Amino acid sequence: MLGSTSKIGKYYVYGSTLISAFIVFLIFTILIISSWDAITTVGLDLLKFQWNPATGEFGIIPMLFGTLVVTFIALLIAVPLGIYTAIFTSEILPSKYRFIVKSLLELLAGIPSIIFGLIGIAFFSIWVQNIFDLQSGRTIFTAGILLSIMILPTIITLTDDAFHNIPDKYRETAKGLGLYKFEIIKEILLPIAKPDLKGAILLAFGRALGETMAVMLVIGSIDRIPSPIYNWLSPGQTITSKLGREIAETSFGSVHFSAMIFMGLLLFIIVLILTILSQNSLKSNRRLYE
Amino acid sequence: MKSTHALIVFLICIIFTSCEKKQAINIAGSTSVLPIISIAAEEFRKNNPELNIIVNEGGSGVGVNQLGEGKIDIGMVSRDITQEEISTYPNVTFNPISIGKDAVVPVISSEIYNAGITSLTLEEIAKIYRGEVRNWSELGGPDKEILVIDKEASRGTRHVFMEIVMGDKEAIAEGADLVLGSNNEEQTAIVQSDAAIGMLSNAWLNDNVKGLNIKMLDGSIIESSLKNIIDNKFPITRDLLIVTNGKPAGAVKDFIEYLLSSEGQKIVEEAGYVRIN
Repeated sequence: MLGSTSKIGKYYVYGSTLISAFIVFLIFTILIISSWDAITTVGLDLLKFQWNPATGEFGIIPMLFGTLVVTFIALLIAVPLGIYTAIFTSEILPSKYRFIVKSLLELLAGIPSIIFGLIGIAFFSIWVQNIFDLQSGRTIFTAGILLSIMILPTIITLTDDAFHNIPDKYRETAKGLGLYKFEIIKEILLPIAKPDLKGAILLAFGRALGETMAVMLVIGSIDRIPSPIYNWLSPGQTITSKLGREIAETSFGSVHFSAMIFMGLLLFIIVLILTILSQNSLKSNRRLYE
Repeated sequence: MKSTHALIVFLICIIFTSCEKKQAINIAGSTSVLPIISIAAEEFRKNNPELNIIVNEGGSGVGVNQLGEGKIDIGMVSRDITQEEISTYPNVTFNPISIGKDAVVPVISSEIYNAGITSLTLEEIAKIYRGEVRNWSELGGPDKEILVIDKEASRGTRHVFMEIVMGDKEAIAEGADLVLGSNNEEQTAIVQSDAAIGMLSNAWLNDNVKGLNIKMLDGSIIESSLKNIIDNKFPITRDLLIVTNGKPAGAVKDFIEYLLSSEGQKIVEEAGYVRIN
């Protein structure tokens, strides 16, 4: 009885893993096959600045630029904010409040992105418009800030867990040596938690990269790199917002469709590279307390 | 344990009963045609409760594509079907049926309208979209930069507008600052700005979103009133179409007949468009 159950369990576990791996493989293959048309017919012209399906121009650089900048802004704001919040909840806040504060913060992660988008378009973009005295509040910067709020819970929760997993003996020993709380956090706990922090940031990066709905509503959706290039208070476009707006308008099998899928493939590859990088960094930095 | 089993059986029952196919008409496409169809669908269902009518938006391009791919029964389209679209779907016979008339109106923020810019020539509007005029002061308005709002390339409103204003339905608007989708989204953006210009279906104008009058070459000024649309005086008019694949039959035919009946045409009028029958 026991033997057969464990056998079934074993196959079930193997099977589930195989299915997950197979799905990833399948998606990758489909993306490559569907974008093949664009790769062969448009080729290097994909790396141009003009997107106009009517004349057969499929330059994806503006979308790629928008995606990277929006993600960069989001991380720039969310990473320090998230890590400081996590230090507060795990090291400074009395543990009986920690649970309440943390679940409230995690609630933020459960809000559907369309809600963020609606708040973004109804209030947030207006504030940005008024504060910076802009023509329109639908900008790359607005999208970046909105995204930073959306990825904040990911960073806070994972970082908080990372700190919480550090055994108390480190804190006690450090205290015994006469270190201040600030020194304990900076010199002892942060270095120990560093690999986990990297993981948290990479996960947040992935989420920011793939977010569609909220970004689509507030970014302005114009396929153009701002001029000058650092003027992020102007409208732009990300890969996901482009896909969200235009994919239904393309006919299946056309070069237009294929070029859209190519952008999806690009996003997939960026995430893939990130995952591999993060795996390596986690491997090389074995946790100090193990 | 028993209750779990009961629950599973219950869930399976639900899945099977919901699989039993209720007759449905799927409709998708232009947000200009949408107000008519969504009200008409509701009214039509009062007499045909066993029929489901599912209405989605997405723009004229979506209407044509989904009809071409056989995903929907009726496409809502507020422009002509392009030659390219026809050649993309050789197995589909697009059968457009006009259910009403509409005008595409250049619209501006009420602040600009109240500051004195109430009419422009088509050439002036084209200059704004080409990026040659960037400030309202160049047109005799307040010293404010123009926020030029464009629409997604396959939207019906854009095709019709660009055809008349720029001479090419797929013209690139170099001066555009934002690219938006539905009439709703465009309307919101214009309300939120105090120096915007955009394009909207006539039925979407209101106190905050003012329709520009068009100054014709002979100096006369044409307002986007229903009367001017009926008389074909307003330069940017169009037919609102519903498109089927081949001749409609069954429930789809009944629904289209309802739209063309005097009851259906009353809905067209109430939605702010011009009836054709």
